[in-house]
Amino acid sequence: MAEELIQVDLKGKEGAIRVRSKVSLWLKRGIPLLILAILALLPVFQIVEGTLNYWIHMLMYVFLYVIMSSSWNIIGGFAGYVSLGHNVFFALGAYFAGMLFLATRISPFISAPVAGLLAMGFGLLFGLIALRTRGSTFIISTIALVLLMAELFDNWKLTGGTNGLALPLIDLPGQFAKIPYYYYLLVVMVLCVVASYFIKHSKFGLALRAISQDETKAEVAGIPTRKYKILAFGLSGLFIGVAGAVWGSYLTYLRPSIFLTVSLGTSIVLNTILGGKGTIAGPVVGTAIMIAVNEFVVAKLGATELNIVVTGLILIFVLLFFPEGIVGSLKARNKLPSFLDWD
Amino acid sequence: MIQVIQILILGIALGGVYALMSSGMTLIFGVMRIVNLAHSAFIVLAAYLAFFVFKTFNIDPIVSMAFTMPVMFLVGVIYYRLLFASRADNPRFADITVLVTFATALVIEGILAFIFTGIYRSTTPTYAKTSINFGPFFIPQSQLYALIISIVLIVGLWMFMRYTRIGNAIRATMQNRNAAQVVGVNVTWISTLSFGIGLAMAGAAGSLLSFVFTFYPAKHIAWIGMIMCLVVLGGMGSLVGALVSSFLLATAAAYVNFYFGAAWSPITFYLSLFLILLFRPQGLFGKKVEG
Repeated sequence: MAEELIQVDLKGKEGAIRVRSKVSLWLKRGIPLLILAILALLPVFQIVEGTLNYWIHMLMYVFLYVIMSSSWNIIGGFAGYVSLGHNVFFALGAYFAGMLFLATRISPFISAPVAGLLAMGFGLLFGLIALRTRGSTFIISTIALVLLMAELFDNWKLTGGTNGLALPLIDLPGQFAKIPYYYYLLVVMVLCVVASYFIKHSKFGLALRAISQDETKAEVAGIPTRKYKILAFGLSGLFIGVAGAVWGSYLTYLRPSIFLTVSLGTSIVLNTILGGKGTIAGPVVGTAIMIAVNEFVVAKLGATELNIVVTGLILIFVLLFFPEGIVGSLKARNKLPSFLDWD
Repeated sequence: MIQVIQILILGIALGGVYALMSSGMTLIFGVMRIVNLAHSAFIVLAAYLAFFVFKTFNIDPIVSMAFTMPVMFLVGVIYYRLLFASRADNPRFADITVLVTFATALVIEGILAFIFTGIYRSTTPTYAKTSINFGPFFIPQSQLYALIISIVLIVGLWMFMRYTRIGNAIRATMQNRNAAQVVGVNVTWISTLSFGIGLAMAGAAGSLLSFVFTFYPAKHIAWIGMIMCLVVLGGMGSLVGALVSSFLLATAAAYVNFYFGAAWSPITFYLSLFLILLFRPQGLFGKKVEG
């Protein structure tokens, strides 16, 4: 009798655990998918109601920065090589697609993947030079790259100098004009995050993480560190180049002062580190929070000068006290909600 | 020919200020392995200090160096103590410090922009607008003064490092932090002091720049690019390297400026950085170090 009771009790507990784990699995997969579904359906409301222009714009901003941060994560998070110059890929993609459009009328929507490949090729080339160095010298060389590119594009006649290039508006009524860009960026973002998941869990990703732990040991263990680092740097430019092509056409003007600033390159890093570098969900979480904070500061204080101060202070605080970022710190304390555990 | 020599004169005159700007950064890197990306922001801050003192009390920026240098020294000591001193043993120290100092630069830029707005400023003592002629050549008086003071300060720093006990301790810490600690050097104290001295040099540079160039809060980005190129070219941590590369690049940029146009002279700096990374990553006078 007593044994039976215990057994029933045990069964009940096991069952409860099984049910709970099933529920948590559903939550883990379901919440991100639900959010994705809402994001995919949002433009429908825009078409019907036409009142969501602001939200669509803000979300596109988030998508763009998630693409940049997630890509940066491949070299900066997995391999531990901090680059402050990833917006160069963004500029290259935008200028390539924009100039191609002005010359041949090929839509940036079609040329965007080519722009991505071009950015990747440039990343491989630059990596060949800059990845001979490590640590601080590498970081310096990436900042110098941004400054060099900004000077070049400011003075190059072909790219329109400081005035930049003007692209025509998309041929759609204002209510729908954002929607093609919205979907394009959404798809690229999903691809980018999924790709970063597969890279992290591949042998290549494992090697990158070994490099970030101890490069010398990784090399001794037979990992071709130089080849992998260069490849990771190139790969991290791919999606940013695609996003640049789309974003340039969305903005309809290309200017070095928008694409080639040191602060843009830094905000990519900030978003990733705030979310948690080296994690899959980190760049997404960090970007969403940072953009929300920026919007809040701008709305409340208005002054862009204070916006920089807040950005800087958050960055200092996170770096010194939570270098693992939000996702990383929560995970280390076992408090990460399952729907944010994408690794 | 006259023109070629004239450009050389102007290049060398600027080289002195550049050397002063990069000396503090290379000292800070040498002792603490901190790439102080806020260095130029501190220079701009000091320039604004000099500007403020000049506007309100009408004190000459060269005289007010007696005020800006100690203030910046204190700022350096507090900044290092507050943010870095307890983290010197962290394996990720290099990455963290680069980003933290850059964030600091943003904070300084934002605060300066908030207080002084983005208007281009400069201090205008009487010598700012006149030149000294000798034969067919000329040198702006302001640049001559800046050159002389820079050289005096750098030679002073060099002698301090060479001939005093504390200077020797700083150099020992540069060569090998752990070994220096073993033989009894208080490396935390030395690091704090070095950071202070580095920023005092930034303070001096800011005072001098305030009448040589115009400046605005976001100017530090252009300057940090330049200083980084000088420091990497000379070899990170090498005072002599910073001095040599400053004069080298300043004259090179002056010639590029003359023959190709003003827009291309910053590119001289960045291209030389990539060339040196390609052929001699440790810089002209640097030793091979990790990080």
